[in-house]
Amino acid sequence: MKGAEFLVKALEHEGVELIFGYPGGAIMPVYDALLDSKIRHILVRHEQAAALAADGYARATGKVGVCMATSGPGATNLVTGIANAYMDSVPMVAITGQVSTALMGTDAFQEVDIFGITMPVVKHSFLAKTATELPRIVHEAFRIARSGRPGPVLIDLPKDIANTVAAYEFHDDTNEQIAEASAESITRAIALMRESSKPVVYAGGGIGMANALDEFRAFIATTRIPVVATLKGLGALPTTHELALGMMGMHGTKTANHAVQTCDLLVCVGARFDDRATGRLNAFAPNAKVIHLDVDRAEVSKLRRADVPVIGNLRYALKALACKLPNIEPWRRECTTAKETHTWDYDAPGTEVYAPSFLKSLSDRAGDDAIVACDVGQHQMWVAQHFHFNRPSQHLSSGGLGTMGFGLPAAIGAQLAFPSACVINVSGDGSIMMNLQELATLRRYDLPVKIVLFDNRALGMVRQWQELFHDKRYSEVDLSDNPDFCRVAESMGIPAFRVDDRAEVSSAIDRLLAEPGPVLAHVLIHQEANVWPIVGPGRSNSEMLHQHEVAREVTR
Amino acid sequence: MIKFTLQVRVKQSEGALVRILGVTRRRRFDLLHLTADTTEDGHFLDIQMTVQADRAENTLVRQIEKLEDVSQVEVVDPGDAVSEHRAARFTAC
Repeated sequence: MKGAEFLVKALEHEGVELIFGYPGGAIMPVYDALLDSKIRHILVRHEQAAALAADGYARATGKVGVCMATSGPGATNLVTGIANAYMDSVPMVAITGQVSTALMGTDAFQEVDIFGITMPVVKHSFLAKTATELPRIVHEAFRIARSGRPGPVLIDLPKDIANTVAAYEFHDDTNEQIAEASAESITRAIALMRESSKPVVYAGGGIGMANALDEFRAFIATTRIPVVATLKGLGALPTTHELALGMMGMHGTKTANHAVQTCDLLVCVGARFDDRATGRLNAFAPNAKVIHLDVDRAEVSKLRRADVPVIGNLRYALKALACKLPNIEPWRRECTTAKETHTWDYDAPGTEVYAPSFLKSLSDRAGDDAIVACDVGQHQMWVAQHFHFNRPSQHLSSGGLGTMGFGLPAAIGAQLAFPSACVINVSGDGSIMMNLQELATLRRYDLPVKIVLFDNRALGMVRQWQELFHDKRYSEVDLSDNPDFCRVAESMGIPAFRVDDRAEVSSAIDRLLAEPGPVLAHVLIHQEANVWPIVGPGRSNSEMLHQHEVAREVTR
Repeated sequence: MIKFTLQVRVKQSEGALVRILGVTRRRRFDLLHLTADTTEDGHFLDIQMTVQADRAENTLVRQIEKLEDVSQVEVVDPGDAVSEHRAARFTAC
């Protein structure tokens, strides 16, 4: 057997069903071996989309996503997708072809040091030096990618190693058991919880990744602590749950940010005090003690000192910490009353489509299990604010890296994982152009992804910042020369239609959801639509700007 | 600014030293001194590095200890663990 066949066989042993990739010179032995494998290869039209589709597949399924590219530009095109997975702790194995070992270090055709280039954005990486070590490398790569705090792992495979004939040696690399939190930390955390009269749970993406949804919900049901969520923590509690106060941070709800700013105890579960969530860090939750539950010790006290670190398996820790807290009833009522008082206002002036209202209607009608993959910008925040999620794996959003162009490939990955699910890509006229070529992939595999393309003829989030924080000095945000998106989609075999009046929204959503195959709705919105509320850069989460306040300032 | 010395043991693997130095730079610790030597069995690299930063020691210790091939990280007194005559010297970057 050849090295490339070892690789493919080891991937089969790992239960890999799908590989997203793009062939080329140095990876050709692996593509040859794939012809004799039951693993399905999905040909994308740009390697970045291979990595992002593998990421979307992994987020939707919890399994390790696999992507593959050739050496040189193929490998460098994967980098953004690998970094995206790294920032959001998504389990991924990226396989790159490399020039033959004798040519490495000679500036050979399509040679780049992808091992070195990706070092800052991988959990670990391997350079295969012999064919016989390939099965071990593959199994270690999968173990590392999914264990503890997940992340991407790179395997760089020189062409001569892929072509070397040797005897296959099976290696089984069983998953490590994650350590349980110490009994002492649990005791101290419970003592702090019992002392507190105003606790808040700050729920992050770690809950879904640790597969700890049941334990988290049981913990909340017992303690009755109000919950705020990060972008990636949305769905840890269903959006409609009485204790779910919504998203915190820059575009969070007034209720969520107010609860955090006034609480006396913050129980952080699988989150990392990201600046978009905390606002100005030294003014974040100023009266709160902190209990920090995380599997990654390096995240605890990195940005905010934890009074009680609870390091280890979230499932265990949440079970151990569930206790009744009768003292917090008045606080709980205060929070839930605030939630009922500060509801979203879906009335907006004008006849144009109002994106928040469109998304609310879409969410109401897409079903409880719809998966939404979004791109990055204003529409991403509107999805986070107005879509209802029952679990985090329904909401595929590039949080840490903020990768425009994530949405369409991620939707492709999710739709392939769940062929009969309703998968929606919400995008913007800026983001869609970053991976527009993947419309061809949708057509090729006839994936019934529903694309909602909000078009404000601008890079809306940047435009909004320039309006609010740069004295309306608009710099390079005008996209009024956009192509006709309907014709672009139709040219790639995707039916498309345009929506430019709010009276058409209801029938547009009907049409979108009724279409059996892929479809694109090109939705025109007001060019100056903004995401509200917003916490300005460098500001505390106590200083949220609301639309009516800004309007008043302008009138003055 | 705090200054401290770390003793790190890492498996001899592709890019092991570069990986540790990369984490050190990315986390904004300045390298002042570095010695590194292979253990007698050839399986590990022992690194002693002195760094300075505005950040707490633990920020770097925790980031290095979670690297896959690192088996040990300790804050030590400079000159403790690796004898000078055995150590290969690198110029500080």
